[in-house]
Amino acid sequence: MENSSRKVKIVVAMPGLDCHDRGIIYLSHVLREAGMEVVYLGRFNTPENIVNTAIEEDADVIALSYLNDHLYMIFFPRVVELLKERGASDICVMAGGRIIEEDRPKLKELGITGFFGQSTPTPVMVDHIVKRVKRERWKVN
Amino acid sequence: MYRGKLWTRRVFTGLGTGMDTNERYRRLIEHGETGLYWFGDVPSFHGIDPDHPMAAGNAGVSGVSYCCLKDMYALFDGISLEDVSVSNNCPSMAAAPTYAIFAAYAEEQGYDLKKISGSVLNEPIHGVSSLYPTNCEPLDLTVKVATDVIEHSIKTTPRFHPLAPNAYDLAEFGANPVQEMAMTIAITREYIDRMLARGYDIDEFVSRTNIFGCSTDIHLFEEVAKYRAARKVWSKLIRERYGAKKPGSYRLYLSSHTLGSSLTKEQPVNNIVRVAVETLGCVLGGLQSVDPSGYGEGYFVLTEEEGLTNLNLQNILAYETGVAATADPLAGSYYVESLTSRMEEEMWKIIDKIEEMGGAIKATESGWIRQELEKGIIKKQKDIEEKKRIMVGLNDFVIPPEQEVPIKVGRDRPVEEQVATSKKREEEIKVFKEKRNKSKAKNGLEDLWDDAKKGEVCCLIPSMINALRADATFGEILGVIRTANGYSYDPYKMIDYPF
Repeated sequence: MENSSRKVKIVVAMPGLDCHDRGIIYLSHVLREAGMEVVYLGRFNTPENIVNTAIEEDADVIALSYLNDHLYMIFFPRVVELLKERGASDICVMAGGRIIEEDRPKLKELGITGFFGQSTPTPVMVDHIVKRVKRERWKVN
Repeated sequence: MYRGKLWTRRVFTGLGTGMDTNERYRRLIEHGETGLYWFGDVPSFHGIDPDHPMAAGNAGVSGVSYCCLKDMYALFDGISLEDVSVSNNCPSMAAAPTYAIFAAYAEEQGYDLKKISGSVLNEPIHGVSSLYPTNCEPLDLTVKVATDVIEHSIKTTPRFHPLAPNAYDLAEFGANPVQEMAMTIAITREYIDRMLARGYDIDEFVSRTNIFGCSTDIHLFEEVAKYRAARKVWSKLIRERYGAKKPGSYRLYLSSHTLGSSLTKEQPVNNIVRVAVETLGCVLGGLQSVDPSGYGEGYFVLTEEEGLTNLNLQNILAYETGVAATADPLAGSYYVESLTSRMEEEMWKIIDKIEEMGGAIKATESGWIRQELEKGIIKKQKDIEEKKRIMVGLNDFVIPPEQEVPIKVGRDRPVEEQVATSKKREEEIKVFKEKRNKSKAKNGLEDLWDDAKKGEVCCLIPSMINALRADATFGEILGVIRTANGYSYDPYKMIDYPF
């Protein structure tokens, strides 16, 4: 397949009971506009069903969003752990929403990147996703 | 207006266990709080118990954990419910047992139910299109149960507001000010029509369903005009289309939380300024009750310091500035009057459009409201990205984090403590369920099931109160109502009926 026309496939999901999905509605909209294929899982997911979907769909990226509280520190590492267990660690995991600075180093260590929020311009998000997918998933420059 | 009675000064409160929240209530009352805000944790919003698998880790997080009658004893310990109003925000079918548990506790404590005041934001229709779909659906059932709360309250707790539609979530979910009020009015009509169909006269109940929980954004004049316009629309609607005769029926009461999404995570000290302007908007708009956002709302739910700052912000406005000295102080301003008229006109257009669609339930089920709101979400964020809406520190006047004016923001309690509280609470409820008189709980739930089979004619609140007294829990109560109506016991289909 011609790499330049290859579409990034991205699962967009919120784990747990957090209801604040404005961020993923906007994100999905702009990623589709940027030509990506969005598999929209929305709210109220378990880490298990997020990982299952990503594997079944052969997605390049899992984009996780969370705002309400600290529970992303439980859900996000669990997603990474499940990917590892399933031998699918090449799927890139990214995070957004309200991920406070003091929590980021721990998540970065697990390979989670992005940390998009209300102040992140769309081109920055798109660029980050495309570059990381090309580098780590498609192994092209 | 405020010359007779100032607005009710409320502060968002809800954390950990009932005991944790009670401690904070007492401190806030000491500092001049005149109405308590009873904010539940996420499982209580969804109407699931702390021991539900989806609730793991969530109990007591960003709200207080409660699911059975004994929880009320810790929550309201030492607080006289005849002296302070209590407002609860529960955007799903769980609002009904929330009302029931409050009434049951008040009665057990020997309070005169006719003197209990407050409200429950008991309105699931908006939740389907905005923030909280679990246990908001199936809509026909949740609206039926919400109407039961109104029916019970007008007879039993006549000072209580049993509906208090949640306009705030619509705004937070993309509605512009006109849509926020118009959609909320259209939604309220569903309950009015249902009460009329149950044989009540408009003047018997509508003065109890006329308080909205709104949002106040930073566009000061627009927000004041929004409130003025909404009052005009409501008054005309209730008088002309429903033929109400009592002045109390066409009066609209308004309460507000200032708009959380107008605040920034960047330079959080600026949020104090934003919230002050928004709270001023509430006061100039003549609101009956205000609870401002915390300056750290860009991070997590309010800390105690933020709560006290909010209270003092309101105390300063009330007692230092003189803004409360006259009713509707912006009346007659060309700008505000023309904005008001224009917004009134636009609100009617939406109300009539929803009426043409067959009402707010139909407009929700067809996905129309959700689509309108999603357009709003995209527009709002695009406006920020394209700098059509300036947010200082976020998309303009940005400075490096190390230059920010320091102010303490962040978690109310350390993560470890919250994790431990949730675990403790999950265990506590498991033990409670194991140790309670099971046959009593089972009987209570079965009586509720029988009533729930009877349909519209049977108000479920009395049997809900009995079930709570028999130590049934929220998850069980809602599950039984769901199964009696042909739906799965558990909205997530993860657990079964225990008896």
